[in-house]
Amino acid sequence: MLSIKALKANVEDKPILNGLDLEVKPGEVHAIMGPNGSGKSTLAHILAGRDGYEVTGGTVTFKGEDLLALEPEERAHQGVFLAMQYPVELPGINNMVFLREAMNANRIARGEAPIDAVNFMKQVRAKAHLLQLDEKLLKRNVNSGFSGGEKKRNEILQMLMLEPNLAILDETDSGLDIDALRIVAEGVNALRSPERSIILVTHYQRLLDYIKPDFVHVLSAGRIVRSGDKDLALELEEKGYGWLEEETAA
Amino acid sequence: MISQEARRDWFEQLLQQGTTAAAEIDEQAWLSRRRSQARAELGQLPLPTRKSENWRYTLLDGLLGQTFQPSNEAFQALLPEDIDDWLLEDTHAYRIVFANGRFVPGLKSFAELPEGVTIASLQQVLRQQPEMLSIWFGQTANHSQDVFTALNSALMNDGLFVHLARDTILDRPLEVLHLNLSVEQTALIQPCNLLVLEQGARAEIIERYTSTGDSVYFHNGVSEILLEEDASLTHLRVQEESPQSYHLHRSFVSQAAGSHYHSTSVALGAKWARQELQVRFQAENAECQTRGLYLVGKDQFSEQHLDVQHNTPANSSQHLYKGILYGACRAVFDGRILVGQAAQKSEAHLNNHNLLLSREADVVTKPQLEIYADDVQCSHGTTVGQLETEQLYYLRSRGIKLIEAMKMLCSGFAAEIFADMKNEVLRERVQNRLDTILVRALDETSGEKHV
Ligand SMILES: Nc1ncnc2c1ncn2[C@@H]1O[C@H](COP(=O)(O)OP(=O)(O)OP(=O)(O)O)[C@@H](O)[C@H]1O
Ligand SMILES: [Mg+2]
Repeated sequence: MLSIKALKANVEDKPILNGLDLEVKPGEVHAIMGPNGSGKSTLAHILAGRDGYEVTGGTVTFKGEDLLALEPEERAHQGVFLAMQYPVELPGINNMVFLREAMNANRIARGEAPIDAVNFMKQVRAKAHLLQLDEKLLKRNVNSGFSGGEKKRNEILQMLMLEPNLAILDETDSGLDIDALRIVAEGVNALRSPERSIILVTHYQRLLDYIKPDFVHVLSAGRIVRSGDKDLALELEEKGYGWLEEETAA
Repeated sequence: MISQEARRDWFEQLLQQGTTAAAEIDEQAWLSRRRSQARAELGQLPLPTRKSENWRYTLLDGLLGQTFQPSNEAFQALLPEDIDDWLLEDTHAYRIVFANGRFVPGLKSFAELPEGVTIASLQQVLRQQPEMLSIWFGQTANHSQDVFTALNSALMNDGLFVHLARDTILDRPLEVLHLNLSVEQTALIQPCNLLVLEQGARAEIIERYTSTGDSVYFHNGVSEILLEEDASLTHLRVQEESPQSYHLHRSFVSQAAGSHYHSTSVALGAKWARQELQVRFQAENAECQTRGLYLVGKDQFSEQHLDVQHNTPANSSQHLYKGILYGACRAVFDGRILVGQAAQKSEAHLNNHNLLLSREADVVTKPQLEIYADDVQCSHGTTVGQLETEQLYYLRSRGIKLIEAMKMLCSGFAAEIFADMKNEVLRERVQNRLDTILVRALDETSGEKHV
């Protein structure tokens, strides 16, 4: 599904990713952990197509195609979705209108008919209910004045509506209370299927109790320095990242 | 630069041509007095130049370099289906239509009106109830001391007349279509509108100023709005005219105690458009809220001119104007609120925000607040910005195409202007119209790098 090979990228001439390899197959859940500033969000944004990154080496293919050649919206049409670490506020844009526009933009790009209003409402209601997202938030402007946790839930709502093939969740768990974490995890699990892949960027092992990853990777200084199964997350929780960096240096 | 002499000639010539045309109205004593007074004033009033404070930022050479002839044509042959595209309300509203500033009887949508309501053309009222006009006319505009207003008065001919007697509530919105047509090239069109709401009366009025194709004309309009005690007027004004036209319109609002004036103005442009709003509070506890949106594109000039005076205590006024500029154009927001010494307990807020979608767009924003009273709540603010890259990215990452994403952010920016509009059908229509124009505008500018 997703194949990243020796990816190198700069931000403002500063190297952030330094030869990153990652292979994600359909149906797999990969967790990416790693210290602050190691490049996790950078990777996520490069996959989603944000401006301002200079790819200096390597390749990213998604479903066999060069992902980096696509515009952000084209990546979405191909099924890439990024739940952002810091979702932006969109003043004056109603959340429900936004959701419908997004959904229809994807459907039209894929040659499907736009969703009708009744069906759409049904789906939003059901999914908001699943995430225990207050329906009032649907009527407000996108993320405007939402609490940190509400923004994260709103990201997951979008994900559930758009049903991506590859969902990248950048610290969706940060800022969620314990109940919300479980609810959001259930939302993500509801999306799991043999065709869908998920990349979870997280700092906390707790999320992985709810969403069981097939692989856990540690990103440090722009490279994946260690990969393992979910036990690696437990080990990291216990020991921190120091021992890995020492090992890598050695 | 056009010489002072040439400027004077420009007005003189219009005046001469127009005087003959205007003579067709039965001359009422007060009307002919008013016209000749205006004619006399016209010769004396200073001409607008870039040196006068009021015209500092206005590009006038295009207008004064063009010749116009007062429009004489009556468009009696217009059919209801000719105007379908320009209506915002449906059959629900009372509708009245003016073509080149002249009333078109065949397009009036009503035969009867509720007790206490007069909706008519100026000419009709002149014929039937001239005394009604003499009471009200010129109460506010008389004091404007400006050549363009004087030109309008000097050739006063037709326009909209609305009168609501005491405590009358207009049960349906009134839709007024001002249609300017290209049949007669380079016409001078000068509607003269008068809206009077007597004590406790209420109304919602929707005005649309529009034109066909590439008509070349100069619309020099004046509206006087008199709100007596506790009267309440909701006023929507949508201006969308030919890219070759010139549009100057002045609205003079006079508010008595406890009256409300809620205005939403959408200026989608002409070649050159300047809208002026003057508000005067006559007593206490009145409220004035204006919302304005201007969209300005390639080769357009657009100006919003606001002049609000609080000279009596305890009135509240709130003004919010937003502009979206695309292409090589110029927009001016020149707003001034004066809170005089006697105006204690006043509230006044003045804000202007601009969104620039093109590097070639030029905006002048000058919100001014002059305060001479100490116990007041006042604020003003202004911003000039561009679309946020992060917001665009967010939308696009959800699959929304660039142009569509830009359109959404632009309409999001504009949304605040419509937030208080109670007529939802109308709000939706105006916003849809806006979206259509934005998409076209963004498509046009898509060659340029926006962010
Ligand atoms: N636009 C930018 N300009 C300058 N530096 C940047 C920019 N974006 C990212 N960086 C730098 O790149 C590095 C990696 O940032 P990134 O956000 O990818 O880290 P992260 O692994 O997601 O960290 P965290 O766990 O704190 O979210 C950091 O040193 C950051 O300061
Ligand atoms: Mg991060």
